[in-house]
Amino acid sequence: MSETPKLVLFQCQWCLFAPSDQEWVDTQLPENIHLAKVPCTGRINPLYLLNAVQGGADGVMVSGCLPEQCHFKTGNIAARRQLDEFSDFLNYIGYEKDRIRFLWLDLQDRGIIQKELAAFEAQITTLGPAQNLATRVSETAGGANA
Amino acid sequence: MLDLDALMAEAKRVLDEGVVEMVIGFKAGDTPLHPQPAFFTSSEEIDQLAYNALCQNNLATYLTRFPKTQKIGMLVRGCENRSVNALVFEGQHPREGLYLIGIPCEGIIDWRKIVEQTGEEVISVVEQSDNTMLVEARSGYFTLEKHSLLHESCARCIHPNPISADIVIGDLLPEGDPALAREQVAAFADLPVEERHAWFRQEAERCIRCYACREACPMCYCEECFVDHISPRWTESGTTPAGMQGWHIVRAFHQTGRCTSCGACERACPMDIKMTYLTEKLNDDMRRKYNFEVGLDAETPTPFSTVTLDDKSRFVV
Repeated sequence: MSETPKLVLFQCQWCLFAPSDQEWVDTQLPENIHLAKVPCTGRINPLYLLNAVQGGADGVMVSGCLPEQCHFKTGNIAARRQLDEFSDFLNYIGYEKDRIRFLWLDLQDRGIIQKELAAFEAQITTLGPAQNLATRVSETAGGANA
Repeated sequence: MLDLDALMAEAKRVLDEGVVEMVIGFKAGDTPLHPQPAFFTSSEEIDQLAYNALCQNNLATYLTRFPKTQKIGMLVRGCENRSVNALVFEGQHPREGLYLIGIPCEGIIDWRKIVEQTGEEVISVVEQSDNTMLVEARSGYFTLEKHSLLHESCARCIHPNPISADIVIGDLLPEGDPALAREQVAAFADLPVEERHAWFRQEAERCIRCYACREACPMCYCEECFVDHISPRWTESGTTPAGMQGWHIVRAFHQTGRCTSCGACERACPMDIKMTYLTEKLNDDMRRKYNFEVGLDAETPTPFSTVTLDDKSRFVV
């Protein structure tokens, strides 16, 4: 694949403890990665994932806090139950499960988000672009998009 | 075969004695193939009550359309009983306000399978005691094997008996085999990813967005569905590929841990779109991952409405 894959990163705003890491995510994220910052992974409705997938994302990464370290106590685990099942379900109808990755981010780890994103990008590059569920008409193309 | 007289007697009794204000059941419809839901408020009306294997609606759908204070009597089969339990758990009606008249169900007949063999002009359908249906049509008389006419989700039914009915009319039937439901899901999941997607796309693209599946489903009772929501617009609402696929994906996903596999969605679909392969997959996952089956009682919370820290070992990357 010649093009770089399009990725979407859903990031819990509490999970990156090191300010330098958070700053990197906020300001220096590569252009092919779309950042959606959420107050907690529990805020992520499966529809958000579906929107990313239908909008043509080749891979979706969800990063949240470790279990027991959620800022809202159990938001991350509750979310994981739903999102894990949702990615299983998308896999069932044709969006490979490897394209959705969940991360538990340890507060102590520095630079982990860069490493994980690079590894994920490499994995998606080998999988190639995802076309199966990318059905949304792009806004620039016009047409029935409402 | 069901003892219809006993059923009518019980319905009359609960109405006369004031146990309930209304009984939800079936009456003969416009054509013999479509008995329709009926709402009886007095015992004189009960004479119209009819029940046969062609009664295809899930009556629990109507539970959420009446005030919670109303005392409602309802005919329930296995799947309806479990839907009612799930609705009671979700606080849609107090169990004390319900009187459930249980019917062990031998399966619902798919009228489309009758029409395939007899042509559309059916004059009468009689259920016979030897597990056959005698169908009189314009094109002649047909004796059809009942089992071959069963709706697919009924053919793999696990719980044909009402679980928590106040009274059961008739003898209990043997339980079904969960492996049957698993079989279909596993066979589909083993297909290559492109074939799975091709099937999904082919089914979803026939959708006309009439939302009959939503109206037929007892668990789809939201005041405002996500597809009707305008701001923010969650998903495309037209018959665009993204809109149709999004509807099928999310409608099914909202049933996770709530679907009782009654198949009412599929029977309601005017475009004959297969849908239960989606919800069966989610049900199967709930059975395997969380050992959960919906509606077996009205207390156990669904997997998505509860959390436990045991999950952390399951999801370690």
